Amino acid sequence: MDTIFHIFHHAQYTRDGTVLGNLLSPIPPKGDPSLLQRFYKDSNVFDIQSDITQYIKSPQTTLPKDQRNAWIDIYVTYWKAIGEILRAESGNHRNDWAIKVYESWKEVMNLVIRGYSGSSGFQSWTLPVLYTAGKYLRVFAIKADEEQAAKVGAGAVKMETDGLGDDVTSGGLEKNERLEDAARVINRVFTLCISDRAPMEESRKWGLYHTTNLLFKTYFKLNSISLSKNCLRAIQASATDMPPMSHFPKAHIVTFKYYVGVIHFLDEEYHKAEENLTAAYRMCHRDAQSNKNLILTYLVPTYLHTTLRLPPTTTSFGQELITTLFSNFLRAIHLGALGRFNLELETHAHVFVKRRIYLSLERARELCLRNLLKRCWIVAGDKEKPRVRVKEWAAAVRWSAKAGGEGGFNDLQPRRVVDEGHVDMEDVVVADGEAGERLNGEMDDDEVECLVSGLIYKGLLKGYISRDHGIIVLNRKGEIFPGTGV
Amino acid sequence: MSASADGSGPTTKAITSDPPSSTTLKDEQKPAAALEEDDEFEDFPVEDWPAEEQEVPGEGGSTHLWEESWDDDDTSEDFSKQLKAELDKVKANKS
Repeated sequence: MDTIFHIFHHAQYTRDGTVLGNLLSPIPPKGDPSLLQRFYKDSNVFDIQSDITQYIKSPQTTLPKDQRNAWIDIYVTYWKAIGEILRAESGNHRNDWAIKVYESWKEVMNLVIRGYSGSSGFQSWTLPVLYTAGKYLRVFAIKADEEQAAKVGAGAVKMETDGLGDDVTSGGLEKNERLEDAARVINRVFTLCISDRAPMEESRKWGLYHTTNLLFKTYFKLNSISLSKNCLRAIQASATDMPPMSHFPKAHIVTFKYYVGVIHFLDEEYHKAEENLTAAYRMCHRDAQSNKNLILTYLVPTYLHTTLRLPPTTTSFGQELITTLFSNFLRAIHLGALGRFNLELETHAHVFVKRRIYLSLERARELCLRNLLKRCWIVAGDKEKPRVRVKEWAAAVRWSAKAGGEGGFNDLQPRRVVDEGHVDMEDVVVADGEAGERLNGEMDDDEVECLVSGLIYKGLLKGYISRDHGIIVLNRKGEIFPGTGV
Repeated sequence: MSASADGSGPTTKAITSDPPSSTTLKDEQKPAAALEEDDEFEDFPVEDWPAEEQEVPGEGGSTHLWEESWDDDDTSEDFSKQLKAELDKVKANKS
C-alpha cells in the first residue's frame, strides 16, 4: 500500500496523468509483479475504508476535499476488485469468477465517472485514469460474456444428457449482456467528455477521441456498428467547440480515423473512407505493424473502388500485408485472370468475410474483367478498326476463367511465389462450385455479351454492342478503357 | 475431503507467498493480450510520437500513398502470350 500511495501522491504532485492512470490498472507493472498482491494483503475488508482514508489524507496531499473523498471511494472499490481478480487467479476457480470481476470493476468505473462529474471533479490531466478504467471494463466484460457462454454451453450439454428439451436451455441470457452493459457505461463517459463546458485547457473534451475509440471498439465487437454513427454525428455536431485534431495525441487520432474510415467503408462511402484511412495510415507509428495491416485491409479495397486501379505491390507501403493477403488477388486482377480471381476469393473467403471486405472485393471482378479485355485489345486488337467480335472476347473470358485462371497462372506463379516466400500452390484449393456459378469456362457468348454491356454501363469500357453483327464497336476517339491510358 | 483440501491449497499459497503468484499473474495477462490480438485495432504503446516516427512522415497530401504502378511488368507477358494464342484460335476459324 505504501508503494501505491507513494506513487499516487507523487503523480498528483507532478500532475502526471499517465502514471496515475497506469496505477489504477488491474494488472501489476512488469517490474513489480507482486505489487497488487501486497496491496491487497495489506488490509482487510473491515479496515480498508479507514486504511485508504488515512493514505489519501496524508499530509502530502493538496487535493480538495471533494476529490479526496472521490479517490478514497475509488481506491476502496479498487481494493475489492483486486481481491476478486486475485481470487480468480488463485486457481480456485468458481464458475462465475469473470462475472464477479466484471461487476467489481464496474463499481470502480462508476466511481471514477462520478469523480469527474460536477464542477470540482478531477482535472483533465488525470484523464488517463478514465482510460484505464474504461479499457479494463471492456476487457472484463468480454471475459464475463465468454464465461457465460461457456457455462450456457456446458449447461446445455448437461441438460441434454439429463433428457431435457432444447426449450429449457435456449432461454438464456443475452449473449453479450455484460459487453452491452459496458457499452452503456462507456457511453456515459462519452457524454461526460463531449458535454464538458469548461475552458478548453481544463476540458474533458481532450478525452473525447480516446473515449470514442473505446466505444467504437465495443460497438464493433457487438456488431452494432450503426451505433457508432450516432457518436460520429454527435462529434461532428460539436466540431466547432473542439480543439483542432492536430493538438491531440497521435494514438487517439490514428485510431479514431481508422474507425471512421471503416465505418464509411462499410457504408460504401469510399471517398470518405479513403480520406480517413489514408490519414490514419500516414500518421500511424511505423512500428505498429498489426495496426498498419488493419488499416491497409480496408484501404486496399477502398482504393480499388475509388481509383479503379491497383495499389502497387512494389512500394514500401504495407508490403507485408499486400503480399500475404492480397498479393495473388491483386495480381489476378492485374492480369485479368478470372479463374484465379475466383480462386483467391474463395481461398481467403473466411478472412475476407470476417473483415467485412468480401463483398467489396467481389465487386472488383469487374476490374478483373476489364483488365482481361484490355489485354485482349492490346495483344490482338486492330488499332485501325476499333471493333471486336463478341466471339473473340467470349473465348478469352472462357479461357481466362478456366485455363488462364489455373494453368496459365501457374506458369507465372512460381517465380513470384519464391520471391515472396509464401503461398504454397498446393495449399490452394480449386473452388469450382460457387465460383463456377459466377464466371466459368462454360459461359456462352450471350452471357459474355451481357458482362460487356455491364462494363459499358459502368463506364469501364467505351463503345456499344451491335447485336445484329455480333460485334462490339469501340471508342474511336480517346481511351477505350477510361483511365487506363488504352 | 481431499477435494476441499486441494481447493483451499492454492488460495492460501497465492496470498501468502510471492513466487507462485507471478505465474498466476501472467495467466491473467494472457487473456487480456489475447483479446487485443484478435482482429482489433491495438492500443499504441505510447500516446504520441514525433513526425519522424510516422509511417509517412510529413503532413502534406501532395505525395499519394501509392506511387508506382503495376503496368506492364514482364511477368504478365506469359499470360498475354497465352491469351493471344487463344484469340488467334478463334480468329483462325472465322466462319
